[in-house]
Amino acid sequence: MMIVGWFLAAFGRQGFWLLPACLCLAIVACSHQPQQQTEDGRIVVEYWEHWTGFEGEAMQAVVDDFNASQNRIYVKKLTVSQMDQKVILATAGGNPPDVVGLWSYNVSTYAEKGALTPLNKYLEAEGITEADYIPALWDLCEHRGFMWALPSTPATIALHWNRRLFKEAGLDPDEPPTSIEELDAMAERLTIVEIKRDGVKQRVRYTDLTQSGRDSKDFDIVQLGFSPNEPGWWKQMWGYWFGGDLWDGQRTITADSKENIDAMTWHGSYSQKYGVDNVKKFSASFGAHFASPQNPFLDERVAMVIQGVWMYNFIEKYSPQLDWAAAPFPSIDPQTLPDVTIIDCDILAIPAGAKHPDEAFEFISYVNSQGPMEKLCLGHRKFSPLTTVSDGFIEQHPNPYIKVFIDLAHSPNARTTPQMSIWQEYNEELSVAADRVFGAIMPADQAMRYVEERVQWKFDRALRRWDLTKDERIKHWTEQ
Amino acid sequence: MTRKQRHNLRLGLLFISPWIVGFLIFGAYPIVMAVYYSFCDYDVLRDAVWVGPLNYQDMVTDDVFWKSLYNTLFYTVVSVPLSLTLALMIAVLLNRPILGRSLFRTFFYIPAIVPLVAVSMIWIWVFEGESGLLNYGLSLIGIEGPQWLNDASWTKPTLILSSVWQTGGAMVLFLAGLQDVPRSLYESADLDGAGPVEQLRHITIPMISPVLYFNLVMGIILSIQEFVKPYIMMPNGGEDRSALLFAVYIYQNAFQYNNMGYACAMAVVLFAMILLLTWLATKAMAGHVYYGGD
Amino acid sequence: MQRPGIQFTRMVLLLIGSAVFMIPLLWMVSTAIKPIDQTMTMPPKWLPTKAVTTIDNQSVEVGVGKIPDDAGADTEVSITAAYQYIVGQSPVRMVEEAGSDQVVVEVNYHLEATIDGKDYPIRRVKNFSLEPAAGETEVAVINPDGSMRRRLVKEDAIRKIPDDSAEAVSQSYSFTVQEVYPADEVAKRYVPWNDRQKYAHVMTENRIATLGSLDESTDIQWSNFSEAVHEMKHFWVYLGNTLALCLLTVIGTAMSSAIVAYGFSRIDWPGRDKVFLFVLGTMMIPLPVVMVPLYSLFRELGWIGTLRPLWVPAFFASAFNVFLLRQFFRTIPSELSEAARIDGCSELRIFLQVIVPLAKPSITVVALFQFLYTWNDFLGPLIYLTDEKDYTLALALQAFQSQQGGTQWHYLMAASTLVVAPIIFLFFLTQRTFIEGVSMSGLKG
Repeated sequence: MMIVGWFLAAFGRQGFWLLPACLCLAIVACSHQPQQQTEDGRIVVEYWEHWTGFEGEAMQAVVDDFNASQNRIYVKKLTVSQMDQKVILATAGGNPPDVVGLWSYNVSTYAEKGALTPLNKYLEAEGITEADYIPALWDLCEHRGFMWALPSTPATIALHWNRRLFKEAGLDPDEPPTSIEELDAMAERLTIVEIKRDGVKQRVRYTDLTQSGRDSKDFDIVQLGFSPNEPGWWKQMWGYWFGGDLWDGQRTITADSKENIDAMTWHGSYSQKYGVDNVKKFSASFGAHFASPQNPFLDERVAMVIQGVWMYNFIEKYSPQLDWAAAPFPSIDPQTLPDVTIIDCDILAIPAGAKHPDEAFEFISYVNSQGPMEKLCLGHRKFSPLTTVSDGFIEQHPNPYIKVFIDLAHSPNARTTPQMSIWQEYNEELSVAADRVFGAIMPADQAMRYVEERVQWKFDRALRRWDLTKDERIKHWTEQ
Repeated sequence: MTRKQRHNLRLGLLFISPWIVGFLIFGAYPIVMAVYYSFCDYDVLRDAVWVGPLNYQDMVTDDVFWKSLYNTLFYTVVSVPLSLTLALMIAVLLNRPILGRSLFRTFFYIPAIVPLVAVSMIWIWVFEGESGLLNYGLSLIGIEGPQWLNDASWTKPTLILSSVWQTGGAMVLFLAGLQDVPRSLYESADLDGAGPVEQLRHITIPMISPVLYFNLVMGIILSIQEFVKPYIMMPNGGEDRSALLFAVYIYQNAFQYNNMGYACAMAVVLFAMILLLTWLATKAMAGHVYYGGD
Repeated sequence: MQRPGIQFTRMVLLLIGSAVFMIPLLWMVSTAIKPIDQTMTMPPKWLPTKAVTTIDNQSVEVGVGKIPDDAGADTEVSITAAYQYIVGQSPVRMVEEAGSDQVVVEVNYHLEATIDGKDYPIRRVKNFSLEPAAGETEVAVINPDGSMRRRLVKEDAIRKIPDDSAEAVSQSYSFTVQEVYPADEVAKRYVPWNDRQKYAHVMTENRIATLGSLDESTDIQWSNFSEAVHEMKHFWVYLGNTLALCLLTVIGTAMSSAIVAYGFSRIDWPGRDKVFLFVLGTMMIPLPVVMVPLYSLFRELGWIGTLRPLWVPAFFASAFNVFLLRQFFRTIPSELSEAARIDGCSELRIFLQVIVPLAKPSITVVALFQFLYTWNDFLGPLIYLTDEKDYTLALALQAFQSQQGGTQWHYLMAASTLVVAPIIFLFFLTQRTFIEGVSMSGLKG
C-alpha cells in the first residue's frame, strides 16, 4: 500500500494512468502460481528431473504412460538445471516440487538437512521391501534408519577397451588386463607418441622409446592406452580398486589410508610417466565433448577407458564401427579383490513440504513397478534395479555386454559413494586432490592427508550439528 | 532550531523516507543479521543455533578461505590498476580531435555493457585451449598458448583479461574528466616544449585526480565482490582452486553446502575488507586529489 | 594542431585497440551463424560456408574432409553426403531387403485429430475413464506445452501422420512401424549437409571428389537463432520476465530515487549532507555480503521462487541513482523553486512541476542504468528463482550452457547474441544520453 501512496504523492493526477499500468505489470510479474489442477480436474504433480537428452525422453515416455494410465493425477515433468542446488533452495523457500529425480549421492545430504519426506509409511502400505531391489541400491536410498527415496535407473562401471587397437598393438583383443599392473603395461604398449628424429616427425609406440626418450618427455601423445583422468568422473574413488575405504561408516574419514594413497599415487603416475603438459595438451584436444564423435574413446585416441553401462549407446550413436568390449575394471589384486565397481543410481524422492505427497508416491511407485521400470531403464540403456526381471530383458537389451554390468551390480565388491551428509564436499576435496596429484602440484600422500584433515574437520562440524538435533529429528521423521 | 528548520527537517525526512525504509529493510537489517548468523550454525532449513565465535575460528584454519582471499586480492590488485591504466591510455588517445572519434569511443565502451553472463560465455569460447580463437591468434605469432581455463597458473590472468576488456566505463569517465582540463594548460606546456609523457604526469593526472579516485574506489569495490565470471567460467574454482574468488566461496558455502553461518562470517570479513581497502585508497590519494573549483 | 606523426600513431593505436576490443563480440556473432561442424575448424573461418558438388546428376551439399595444404583443383578429397530413404515424401529407415523386389523399412508416425477446428497430436490410451459412444474412442490430447488431456473423438477423425523431422521422430508419442514396400518405391534423397541433424533417419556415405568439382559458397545459418530459442525452451517467457522486471525496476527506481534526491538537494534541512555521505557509504554494501540474510528474509515473506525479491527493493531508491540525480538537481538554479514557493506551491508540486520536467534527461539516464542492471543481473535471479518459468534471460543463458556441457557452441553463441543484441541496440539508440550519464556519475564525487 505504501508504494501506491507514494505513487499518488509523487505523480499526482498527471501520473495517475501510470498506476494501473504498474499494477498490471506487478500482477504479470507475480501471477505465476504453480498450477494445481489441469483443465480436466486432475491433480498436478510437479516433477523435477535432471536428465536431458535421450535419458530425459525415456523418462518422459514413462510419465506419459503414467498420465495415460489413470485419470486422477497429471505428472508435469520439468527439466531443471543445477538440480541439487535448486531443490534445496526451493524446499527451503517453502515452494518445492512434488517429486524430484536426483542422484543417489544426494540422499544422505538432503535427508539430514530435513529436505526430504521419509517414505517408510508408504513403502509399508505398498508392500515394497528390500528384497525387491539389488541390495546396494536399497542401501543407497537409506540414511539414519529411514528410507528417503526409491531407485530409478542404476548403473555400474567397467573397463571398455578397443579391440582393434589391441590387435594393432599385438595384444590379444579378448584378454583385457586383470590387474592394475597388467593395465599399466598394456597401456604403455597401446600408447603412441610423436617424436622428432633428425628433424622428421615420427610416430612410435611408447614401449619402443629409449629410456632417455621416455625421460625427456619430448614428444606429443597421439594415442593413449589409458588415463586414470579420462573421463575423470570417478577419480575420487580409485581407492576402491586398491581395497580402500573412504570412511569407517561412523565418524571417521579414512582418506589417508595406505590404499587410498596408493591409488592416488597410481593416478598421478600416469601424468608423471607421459609428462604433465603432454597429457594436458592431449586432453584439451577433446575437451568436454563427451557426447560427440570427438570423444577420445569413440574416435580411437584412447584405447581403454572406465565407463558406465550407458557407454554402449554413445558408441552406437557416434562410432558404430568401433570394435569394443567390456569387462570388470581390474583391481590391484584380482585374487582377493575381484569385480570391483561403483554402483549408483538416480533416485525419485519427495521433498519435505511437497503439496501432494500421496499422489507423488503413487507416481514413484508406478515407475518402480516392473513394466515401466524396464521401459525406463531400456531407454537409458541401463539395467533394472529390481531383482525380478522379465524374461528376455537381458537378451533383448541392446548392450551386448549388459550381463557384465548386471553381474558387477551383484558383486560383493560393488561399492557405493559414502552415505554421509557431507559427501558433496568430500567429493570436491578428493577431486581437487586428484587434480593436484595429476598436475604434479602436490605429492599423493600430502594431498590425501590434506583431504583427510579438511574433510574430518567438516565432518565433525556436521556431526556436531546432528548430535544436537538428532532426537528431535528422528521423532519428527517417525511421526511423519 | 528555528521553525523553518524544523519544517524543512520534517519535509526533508519525508522526501527521503523511501530510502530510509529501504535501507532499514534491505541494508541495515541484513547486515545486523549477517553479523548475528556469523555466530550461529545455520542452514536455512533448520533454525539458527548460537555457537559463539566458532565460525571465525574455523575460518582461521580453513585453507580454502585463505586461498580465496589471496585469489581475490591478487585479482583486485592486478586487474584494477591494469584496467585503469588502459582506460586512461585510451582516454588520452581519444581526448584530442581525431577522425571517427565517437565511433572509437563506442567500440571501446561497448564491452562494458555486455551482460556478464554473455561475457563469460564468450570468454570460455575464445579462451578454449585447443580450438579457441586466442590461441590460434597466438600461434600465428609463434606462441603456443596455454590451457587458459585448465591451468592453475593461467586461470587468474584469464579473469583479469576479461575485466580489462570491460574497462569502457572507466574510460568514458576519464574522457569526461580530460575534457574539463583547460586546453590552455596543454598549449602552454607545448610552448615550454614538454613532451607527451611530461604533460601526462604534470597536467593530466593531477587534473583528473578526482575521477581517478572515483574509478579506483569503484574498481576495488566491484572486483572484490566479483562473482559472475568466475562462477560461470570455473564453477568449482578451476584447477587447484586457483580461480576461486571470495564471493564464489561465500556462495558455495551458503547455497551449495548450506553452511550459512559460515558464509555470513565470511561476508562480514568481505565487508570489513571493502571498508579497509576503500579507506586505504582514500588515504593514499589524500593530498593528491585536486578539486578544480572547490 | 598536433604533428602528423603523432596523429598517425594515435590513429594506428586506436584502430588496433578497437579491433582487439571488438573481436570477441564479432567472434560470438560469427560462431552464432555457423553450422556445428564449422565452429571448431582450424584455421578459424569468420563466415560459414557450404560445399556443393554433383552426385548422380543432382547438386548436393556435402561435408568436406581435410584438405592438404598444397591442394590444387585436381587434388582428391574425401567428401561425405547425407541422405535419407523416402517413400513418397516420408523418410524411412531401411531395415533389410526382404527380397529382390521388396524391402522392409521402419516408418515413424504419430496420430492427429481435429478438435474444435484445430489439429492436435494425440495418443491412444489403454484404460478408458470416459464413456465412448459407438464409433468414438478416448484419447490423450497433447497440448502445445506438452501436457495432456483426455477427450473423446470419433474413430474416423484420427489420422496417421508420418513424422519427417528428427525432432518429430524423437517425440514420445511417435511410434515406429515396420512396413514392406516394393523396392522401386523407396527412393534415396540427399539432404543438405549443414542441416542434416534436422532430418529424420539420416545416413551418410563417403565419396571422393576433386577439389575443383566442389563449389564453395557462404552459407549463413540464420536458423541457429530460432533453433537456440527453441533449445532454450521458454525463451519468450524468459524475455517476458526480464522485460517485466526491467520495467518494474525502472519505474520503481526512477520514481523513488527522484523523490529522495529531491530531499537531498532542494530542501535545506539540518544534517542533510552528513546523512547524504552515509547514503553514499551504503554503496559499499555488496550483495554477497547480505545475500544470506536477504534470502532468509524473503523466505519468511514467502517470496522465494517468485520475481518479487528482484523488483520490490527497486521501489526504495538506490544510493547510486540518488547520487546521480542529486548531482543534476543541484545544477538547477534555486531561483526557480523560490519563485514557485513564493507563489504558494507545495514542495510536492515544485518537485513534480518544476524539477521533474527539467530533470527528464537525468531521469532517463537513471532509467537506462537500471534497465541495464536488471537485464544483466545474475546473482539475484540465481539465488531467488527456483522455477524455470520465472527465469530471466541471464540466468536462462547460464542454465542453457550448464545443460549443454559445452558442445553446441553455435547455439550457445546464438543465444548469447540474442541476450547481448538488445543492450547494444539500446545503447546505440541512446548513445548520447548514455555517455553523458556515465560521465556525470564520476564527476565532482
